[in-house]
Amino acid sequence: MNVRTRWAALSLAGVALVGLTGCAGAASASSSGSATAAVEPLVLYAAEGFDAVSAKAFTAKTGIPVKLVDDSTGPLLTKIQAEKNNPQWSILWVDGDTAFSSLDQQGLLAPYAAHGSWNAVGKAIIPSDNAYTPTGTTVMSALIYNAAKVTTVPATYQDLLGSAYSGKVGMNDPAQSGPTYPFIAGLMNQLGGQTGGVAAGEAYLTKLKANGLKVFPTNGDTLHALETGQVDYGMIQSSAAIGEVLKVKATANFQPKIVYLPKSTLLPSVIGIDKGASAVQQAEAKKFIDFVVSPEGQAVMLTGDATGDSLFWPVVDDAKSLKDLPAFPAAYQSLDPAFWGPLQSRVVTWFESNIK
Amino acid sequence: MVIQSALLRDNVRARGRAGAKPDVEASPRRRRPRFNALTAFWLLIVAILVLPIALFLAVAFSPALLSQGPQWFTLSAFSAALSGHLLLGFVNSLVIGIVTAVSAAIIGFVLAWIVIRTDAPARGIWTGVVFALFLTPSYLIALGWERLLEPNGVLQTLGWDPAGARDLFYGPGGIVIVLTVKGIPFAYLAISNALRGLGHEYEDAVRVHGGGALASMRVVVSLLAPAIWAALAIVFAESVSDFGVASTLANDSHFTVATFELYTAVQAFPVQFPVASAISWVLLIFVVLALWAQSRALKGRSYRVLGGRSRRAVRRRLSKVEKAAVVLGMSLLILIALGVPTFGAVSASLIDGLGSVGGSHSWTLANYARVITSPDLSAPLLYSMQAAVIAASVTTVLAVVCARLLAAGQTSLSSRVLDMVLLAAVALPGIVFAAGYIFAYNLPLTNALGVHLYGTTVLLVLAYIATALPSTSRLLVGSMSQIQNSMLHSSRVHGAGAIFSWFSIVLPVISRPLLNAWLLTFTATLLELPVSQLLAPPGEQPISVGITVTLSKYDFGGGTAMEVLAILTALLVVLAATLIFRLATPRGWRTLGTAK
Repeated sequence: MNVRTRWAALSLAGVALVGLTGCAGAASASSSGSATAAVEPLVLYAAEGFDAVSAKAFTAKTGIPVKLVDDSTGPLLTKIQAEKNNPQWSILWVDGDTAFSSLDQQGLLAPYAAHGSWNAVGKAIIPSDNAYTPTGTTVMSALIYNAAKVTTVPATYQDLLGSAYSGKVGMNDPAQSGPTYPFIAGLMNQLGGQTGGVAAGEAYLTKLKANGLKVFPTNGDTLHALETGQVDYGMIQSSAAIGEVLKVKATANFQPKIVYLPKSTLLPSVIGIDKGASAVQQAEAKKFIDFVVSPEGQAVMLTGDATGDSLFWPVVDDAKSLKDLPAFPAAYQSLDPAFWGPLQSRVVTWFESNIK
Repeated sequence: MVIQSALLRDNVRARGRAGAKPDVEASPRRRRPRFNALTAFWLLIVAILVLPIALFLAVAFSPALLSQGPQWFTLSAFSAALSGHLLLGFVNSLVIGIVTAVSAAIIGFVLAWIVIRTDAPARGIWTGVVFALFLTPSYLIALGWERLLEPNGVLQTLGWDPAGARDLFYGPGGIVIVLTVKGIPFAYLAISNALRGLGHEYEDAVRVHGGGALASMRVVVSLLAPAIWAALAIVFAESVSDFGVASTLANDSHFTVATFELYTAVQAFPVQFPVASAISWVLLIFVVLALWAQSRALKGRSYRVLGGRSRRAVRRRLSKVEKAAVVLGMSLLILIALGVPTFGAVSASLIDGLGSVGGSHSWTLANYARVITSPDLSAPLLYSMQAAVIAASVTTVLAVVCARLLAAGQTSLSSRVLDMVLLAAVALPGIVFAAGYIFAYNLPLTNALGVHLYGTTVLLVLAYIATALPSTSRLLVGSMSQIQNSMLHSSRVHGAGAIFSWFSIVLPVISRPLLNAWLLTFTATLLELPVSQLLAPPGEQPISVGITVTLSKYDFGGGTAMEVLAILTALLVVLAATLIFRLATPRGWRTLGTAK
């Protein structure tokens, strides 16, 4: 056997070995899943504190591997928009249904009627075409205030225009904080409905600004401003506010408390399936959604981020919530994302130019 | 044998191409490899830089091309980008870019001079400080200052209300300070690399002809013009494309800058790529203006000062008063640039509730204990380090080629095009790159051609290389433009081959700048965010994304502890690489640029 023949033989043996291990790998992958159907990894784009534990529990239960892209909502939506002519995701799971409504209008979502025993809140959120599915809800806003410094507590949003609150109220910037546009849209919706809401909301925010409203980038920054005394009242997402009350030990200077002003706007965590994903992935994605709205999946969600995203109110009847979660606000509203979603760009631009 | 026959084949092809026109300048045998290598290089530049940028820029005119809107041709994105407070953002960015570039170049020059040409005490630590500065993200510097100066911040908690300083800092003044601090390392490295290659003979000549210290300095400044202009251009481009300060200090002080508007267009819902693309066009025009100024200033002059006869520079002996002033100035700079942000990061990670009215204000290592044992730190850090090592190694090699082409002279078209592409790439924020990469490598057409790069670590590393290549090349231009070809020619005359000559003549001369380039790319890549966010493959999380996700969950202590640990790891790599360089390279390699 000369050198060339030896190399050729070795290469052949190498190729055969790789081929065999490849087959073995494929065989083990298929044997771990269903005996008949092929298994493809699910690509989960998610911005929830409980996404990693949920993906792990789902894989353990079904054998379907999940590749997680865990980031904030903004970069994930940027990625989806940039991938638009060749989507790479299977499932998107983030807070807020306005973005989902827009994806639905662009024809990017595969509808699915998930097998959940929906409660009244859940039914209020589910769209008629089942384009996406709620998995829990927070509200926007929770008004968190420093009870060690102030005793006056507002009962309505109109109260915040009074002199007692001058220069003491803070909120997030809708251009940077995902939950804040739904909050502003919710204000507009309750002040003037779909016909006169935008004008009424702009008038209200203009008055609030004249009364010294301060705008900070996100929930964390508004909380920091509250902690440092730059404001005494902050309007932020309920999970962030409740988490702050749980995390921070009350002192003589700082004692965070929460009040919900009517009406609280629902800000659900929402999950949807990519219409461009393969049939196998779409079938797996449906299993994933059924898993997270099942009592078992809901219990897993509570373990991911006990002082943050796991502080949600269930949208299904048979699910538990964290013991520290306060009662669900009585006065709430669910926005029509198909109406308010398309107005986001216009409202945020107005806010940036006039309020920030 | 195989190689020889391949050469013969290519030779025949080259002759065939030449056709009736005989090549009288050089034999085809000598020109062929250069042509091939250059073509391959340009193909790579097109693939990793030109194509992604071009596709992103095309969206401004033709959203339908990449499914970003219904129109095939429109100018509406430009009218949106050039109106109202967006227009104000451009003016603000331009002014801040110019002021920052000039300030950073002046400070960088003075620092380089002190470190290389004087016997100032503690000058050895400055290289470490420069890399620490490279590593410290601009938003961390801004946040450190904000924690100190904000209402009821650290200073006010300690009993002093810095109202005046706050008014000054929360606005253009503070933005210029932070961006200058971030620009100093670029300016310092560009200028110090060139200063190391400048022998003492020119200053001697001035002094022999009766010139004073000022005249001699003027000669030095004019001989270093390519490096100084490179510093000005790069700091300007880095400043106008910075997002860290835009998203923190500029945003908190409600001072509009162009990059913030670009990010709002890309990361706020609904995503508006056409508007972001139009903003990128304006940033590009800024860069064209900077390049035009640079080429006008350097036109028709030669700066080849590093030859076989270069003399070692002589360190100036400083008086006690001068030494005290230098130490004071450098301490102040370190305090402003590193002390405050370190305090901001370390205080948040080490002290319970510092900077707030809540918390016990006691020392705690709880955040570190939590993140060190967390799987969110170790696996992402290891992943990012591996990617950064590969990116830094490839980038350094490519940067040498780029720098050589750029140093070859502004007269050739390819050199000018490359210059434009590289500086354009610096001026465009990372997210433009990242989105451009998705546009380019996730096209159905690309996939149909069998290129499945999107969603892989390979594409992430390529994007890291593309992000780092422009600044790394520019840093090497100063050194490469100094090398006189006579040295290489003498080596060839004495019978050495091209490759041996390069390794024995050029490599020793640029070994230290090369090490700096590698370390710069490594450290910058390790904590790179926008490209990592959009291009990391599913299932893998780079450390920067892990830190951001932790911070976004209001875990400032945990996030900053992760950041501090990542920076410390990177500094350890810098230290190890410097030590290996010192131990492994011949003494002669390290003599260049040192002064007697």
